[in-house]
Amino acid sequence: MTEPALARTKGAEQFGSSSAAASGQSGDRILETRSISKHFDATQALQDISFSLYPGEVHALLGENGAGKSTLIKIITGVLQPDGGEILLAGTPVVIRSAAEAQRLGIAAIYQEPLLFPDLSVAENIFVSHQGRGQVVGWRQMSQDAEAILAQLGVAIDVRSPARGLTLAAQQSVEIAKAISLNVRVLIMDEPTASLSAHEVAQLFGLVRDLRGQGVSILFVSHRIEEVFEIADKVTVFRDGRLISTRLRSETSPQRSISDMVGREMGLLKPRPRAAIGELLLSVRGLGRESVFEEVTFDLHRGEVLGFGGLIGAGRTDIGLALFGIEPATSGTIALDGKEITVRSPREGMDLGIAYVSEDRRQLGLSLPMSITANITLPMLHKYLDRFGLIRRGLETETAEAYRKRLSIRTSSVDLAVAKLSGGNQQKVMLSKWLNTKPSVLILDEPTRGIDVGAKAEVHAIIAELAATGIGIILISSDLPEVLAMSDRVLVMREGRQMAIFSREEATQERVMTAAMGQVSAPIGEVAA
Amino acid sequence: MTILGRLKSWEGLLLGLLAVIVVMNILRSPYFLGAGNIANLFQLSIEKIIVALIMTLIIINGEIDLSVASIMGLAACVLAWLFQMGASLPIAIVGGLLAGLAAGLFNGFWVAYVGLPSLAVTLAGLIGFRGIARILVEDRAIGGFPVWFNTLGQQGILGPITASILIFAVLFAIVAIVLHGSALGRLVYVIGNNLQAARYSGVRVQSVKMTLFAASGLIAALAGILYAARLGSVRGDMATGFELDIITIVLLGGVSIFGGSGNLAGVGLSILVILNLRNGMGLANITGNTQTSVIGALLIFSVLAPNLAQNLQRRWIGRKT
Repeated sequence: MTEPALARTKGAEQFGSSSAAASGQSGDRILETRSISKHFDATQALQDISFSLYPGEVHALLGENGAGKSTLIKIITGVLQPDGGEILLAGTPVVIRSAAEAQRLGIAAIYQEPLLFPDLSVAENIFVSHQGRGQVVGWRQMSQDAEAILAQLGVAIDVRSPARGLTLAAQQSVEIAKAISLNVRVLIMDEPTASLSAHEVAQLFGLVRDLRGQGVSILFVSHRIEEVFEIADKVTVFRDGRLISTRLRSETSPQRSISDMVGREMGLLKPRPRAAIGELLLSVRGLGRESVFEEVTFDLHRGEVLGFGGLIGAGRTDIGLALFGIEPATSGTIALDGKEITVRSPREGMDLGIAYVSEDRRQLGLSLPMSITANITLPMLHKYLDRFGLIRRGLETETAEAYRKRLSIRTSSVDLAVAKLSGGNQQKVMLSKWLNTKPSVLILDEPTRGIDVGAKAEVHAIIAELAATGIGIILISSDLPEVLAMSDRVLVMREGRQMAIFSREEATQERVMTAAMGQVSAPIGEVAA
Repeated sequence: MTILGRLKSWEGLLLGLLAVIVVMNILRSPYFLGAGNIANLFQLSIEKIIVALIMTLIIINGEIDLSVASIMGLAACVLAWLFQMGASLPIAIVGGLLAGLAAGLFNGFWVAYVGLPSLAVTLAGLIGFRGIARILVEDRAIGGFPVWFNTLGQQGILGPITASILIFAVLFAIVAIVLHGSALGRLVYVIGNNLQAARYSGVRVQSVKMTLFAASGLIAALAGILYAARLGSVRGDMATGFELDIITIVLLGGVSIFGGSGNLAGVGLSILVILNLRNGMGLANITGNTQTSVIGALLIFSVLAPNLAQNLQRRWIGRKT
């Protein structure tokens, strides 16, 4: 067996064949990627990934959102094509052009939300990928085969019932049965436990161990670090599109994996200069929205930046939506300037001085074909009408020009369609739109996602400036260094629950990520700053 | 090319088409440019083009109203029924208008507040309102209205210009101002472009949609009453199938069926193109069925052309880079 080239990333640790022997799984790699790379526009999603999977091992991939795990999985399953590098299956170079081809090669994937046909029976779902392969299978035969596979898995499901109505866990069992029917050699499980109860997770892990016993290799992606350390034989950590380390579970620890995940470069990011924090502005107590998030409690002061840290899907955006009235809260209280308020619609939120700048510029934040001006004045259009109810274009343009200057929006004209602008300038238009509502509470959801470094620095400067004028800012960001550099305090969410509030001094990348992954019970900071 | 540029070029295309048709019509018939013929041109389709104005707003908003022709029939039948029951004609007219408004509010409620797709809701309206109209007048033709009512629909009041044409002109101006100058018009575009972004901006999406459907019902009722005045009698099946001609006019005017783009100038040109085309083909003794086929071909072209242009443009850019 040839030793794979040492990863070129500085500080990377390579897991070699000797350790494979140590884990009792000698033999050839079933799957190997050599120097795989992939970029989307300017972003390098994967850089020089050399990774090996051995028969009969459960290999976990860990990393922050955007670290590159999903891209690698998409390449292995044929959904994406790499820009460079090669994939070897049992030692033979292969080109995987589609998910169907990956299945033929014995690579199958199951996801958090199973992708079954709800109106087909369980048996039909299991054998759906066998269609068009020249096999004529009778219904009775198919049912018997399906029952045999499910029996082998130790799962009791009526194979004649439709997939609709099965629990998520049962649906996943069907997905696994489907993979087995395809003689899968590599099974990829992408956050399979995210929607399962503890009991269902235990069942799933039983299945995973059985499959491993049969020599199937499992690539396991999860943000629940304790699960990773329960089930995985090896743990590989990704960060910023690079493979950082591959270690045997016995040779590493959750803390060590988290250290590998978060060692991100601060880059050009400078900590925001400390500004005076004013009086109490927003007081949230026990806020919740049924089965989305619960028991969120925090205070926000004038001039303060409160960061919301955590992984995507942890419920941070949902808190923003509740405060702004798009998806109103169902429990708890909100007080603004000492007065208790209820927010049932975005219009009510706006009238109370709350603004929410969406994470999704293109779908939720802006009307792309419309002009910069029309986008900026939209929420406050009623302030731009003359006595006949007609729009005062001159006044509109004045406002747009003022923001163009204040936030240095780079455009030839404010009449240009927003679609024509770069991501960074679109972001500034969105900020202008909400600053024009004169908010006292500004909720920024991923304000620097998908914009270039220069624009990012500008947005950070704008945030600092706004805080200095006494606006209370909630900064939701999955960019950990950004949250730490900008925030006075950091509230960490995990799976809809508030894990901790850290002061600026307490908040380190490791502490925040540890809380976000729910590994160690982090000290819950005081509610009042 | 910017969106504005593409719209401009679409209108340019319509304008060119219009010029060709008008020249051909003039060459074919010396009477074509006479004031009488031009007024007649409008008069023959006046009810459809009145409703096309409000339909423009509805389609830009990203919705559709298939029930307009049935509301036209309903309003006329309510008018005839009230008149037969002994109500005075002005009262009967108000009754017809209120019936249209009620039908529009009914559509608007389901679309705006319950969130059902307008295609389904107004299809139900198309069937249901027509049913009510037929129940009211059964299989009769109700006529015998006062002379002034018929005069309203048939006689020119300014030379050859009828009251219906005047009403159309006034509505055209109002819709132009609303769509291109008022807050409501801006919101119509914003919602048509991206409903979620509008909602996230605090726009009262529901009330905008409700307003449009209510206006659509009211204007369709007005058109139905003018139609009754022009025909001089009312039947349960009057205006059947008009909704398709109305939607055709709007789409040919460059309004996107997906909402968010289009303008009233394009629809105005589209009205002129269709009227002149039909009139010219009529003068040339081309049968109604052939006329309909030509308009169908034009509609396909109008939906296809922007996509085609975009594809060609993309391919061209692709070759350059």
